[in-house]
Amino acid sequence: MSATAEAQSIPELGVRFLRSVRTAVDGGLDPLAAAEAASADLPKSLRDGVERMARRLRGEYHEDEWGFDEEFAEAAYPFFELLYDQWWRVEATGVANVPAHGRAMIVSNHAGALFPFDASMITGAIMKEHPLPRWPRFMVLDWAFSLPFLSAFMRKVGGIPASPHNALRILAGDGLMMVFPEGVKGTGKPFAERYRLQRFGRGGFVEVALRTGSPIVPVAVVGSEEIYPKIADSPLLARAVGAPYAPITPTFPWLGLLGLVPLPSKWRIEFCEPIELGDFGPDDADDRQLVFEISEQVRETIQQKLYENLVKRGSAFI
Amino acid sequence: MAAGRRILIAGVGTHWGTELALRLERDPGVEQVLGIDTTPPLATLERTEYIEADIRSPLLARLLPTTGADTLVHAGILWYPEPGKPKRALHDINVIGTLQLLAACERTPTLERVVLRGSAAIYGCEPTGPSFFTESMAADYPLRTRFQRDIGELESYFENFARRHSNLTCCMLRLQPEIGPGLDAPIARYLSLPVVPTQLGFDPRLQLLHAEDATGALLAATMRPVRGAVNVAPSGSISLARALRLIDRPQLPIPHPLFGPALARLGDRLGAGSLYGDAVRLLRYGRGVDNARLRIELGYEPAFDAVGAIRDFAAADRGLRLVPTPGVASLLDRLAGTAR
Repeated sequence: MSATAEAQSIPELGVRFLRSVRTAVDGGLDPLAAAEAASADLPKSLRDGVERMARRLRGEYHEDEWGFDEEFAEAAYPFFELLYDQWWRVEATGVANVPAHGRAMIVSNHAGALFPFDASMITGAIMKEHPLPRWPRFMVLDWAFSLPFLSAFMRKVGGIPASPHNALRILAGDGLMMVFPEGVKGTGKPFAERYRLQRFGRGGFVEVALRTGSPIVPVAVVGSEEIYPKIADSPLLARAVGAPYAPITPTFPWLGLLGLVPLPSKWRIEFCEPIELGDFGPDDADDRQLVFEISEQVRETIQQKLYENLVKRGSAFI
Repeated sequence: MAAGRRILIAGVGTHWGTELALRLERDPGVEQVLGIDTTPPLATLERTEYIEADIRSPLLARLLPTTGADTLVHAGILWYPEPGKPKRALHDINVIGTLQLLAACERTPTLERVVLRGSAAIYGCEPTGPSFFTESMAADYPLRTRFQRDIGELESYFENFARRHSNLTCCMLRLQPEIGPGLDAPIARYLSLPVVPTQLGFDPRLQLLHAEDATGALLAATMRPVRGAVNVAPSGSISLARALRLIDRPQLPIPHPLFGPALARLGDRLGAGSLYGDAVRLLRYGRGVDNARLRIELGYEPAFDAVGAIRDFAAADRGLRLVPTPGVASLLDRLAGTAR
């Protein structure tokens, strides 16, 4: 294979491929053998792609016990990378605060009424900018797992139904777990309350961290609030589809599918210093007072970093 | 050595009862194997004494003490109809039968261990919640189908029984659906269809238990039972889509509201009977259970993991095919140049 073949564009390659097939068929070869011979000239990357497709068709790929499919996640990655680089121009700081190995829990604020992209952008920051990247798993609202397509997609890219049992198991297996303690309260809050952290549930995430002895990495995400500004709620619609809430944004549902396009706000993601819980033991998870204290400490850290990054970001869109 | 074990198998006429009897016969530590059922064992058993009796009959209370058994294994809890055990009788056999059997156990002073071969269906198939149920989570979700309610009912009888008879070791096995080369079960028939209907947009995580491990775990529980429930499942999990690719069957995605009626029609052909309600949820949301108790406390390490069980099934599969996907795959391989 020559170096020039690599440099050629896809249409040119296609035309050349078809031409050589035609010549071979005219020369008396059967079409399949002709295609096989002509494919030898195709660039390595293209042939590898075809080979991967064949392998996946036979079921020869890896899924972990949660259904995470790394090859699939890698294939979906360029789309999120485009959003990360071009659409939201994410600036991430402190990524190295995420431990490169061993159990750790990432705790972040949660926003984006229609489709919370924060989990994917935090994942993007780790995969792009961490010196030793690894795929984090993230807790997804239970309801999403009862929906067709979304449930299968989420599972393949690392989503896990939100349950403390699942978080315990991931962390016990030395995984990297991402949680959003605000949950639906965070994503469903109106635009006027943006960047004001909601209640952190009952502090269940701290219990899980204490039980497994995992450090907590607080993360502040700025920009996610502006992608779908929720100006109203439609309880009637929400009840009809069984959703926890049904947001109305300036574009949704007025523009139909076009309304699902998120606004191009400017994002900043700050990973804070890990909070080590090594001084405590698993039994301290039953100490309500301690759990609330740590939960509040994490919440305040994130809230403060949110304000700092809002100032640093300046204008929301430019 | 003291006198060997005397083991009584209820439901010896089922696949699992017969398999267990075959294994026990090979064990020199077992003095006698007794089997009761309404249908004879499926294989020729050499030193198993077959007693034709119905576990639903009150006569059982007089029969059981005379056997002098030290271990009772109930392998006759049915997931789907079998020859001689029609759909209508399932509730009676599973719930009333177990109840009679436990009542008869109370009158059998020689008894030391009771093992029930139950089902992981008690956890249900839920989109939410734990991806790996542990034994303590059985009551976390409502029992939605008929079969689930039956299992729930007999488990609560068994739990009460175990509480009242603390001198007995009572062990409840909760098995995931079994699969295996040569095992003729509805799920195996479903996976062997020329085109497999699935639910559009859903790709459940499954744990199908290899028949080898289903029998192995039952044997382990018979010889050294532990108290309480034990999940019997392979390690890991596999998505239905990947399983079908490994088995080399094309999918036919059907919008999920239509899948239930479609499977109900197919259900009779597959021999699943009334189980299709469970199957619809299983094939939409899947179910995973934690097998730590099986491996560590019961001491049985499954020979096949979730992927291995499917591979073994695929290797022996001789079913009908419409579209040969390896044909497509090898075509792509030739284009990629890897076949050369």
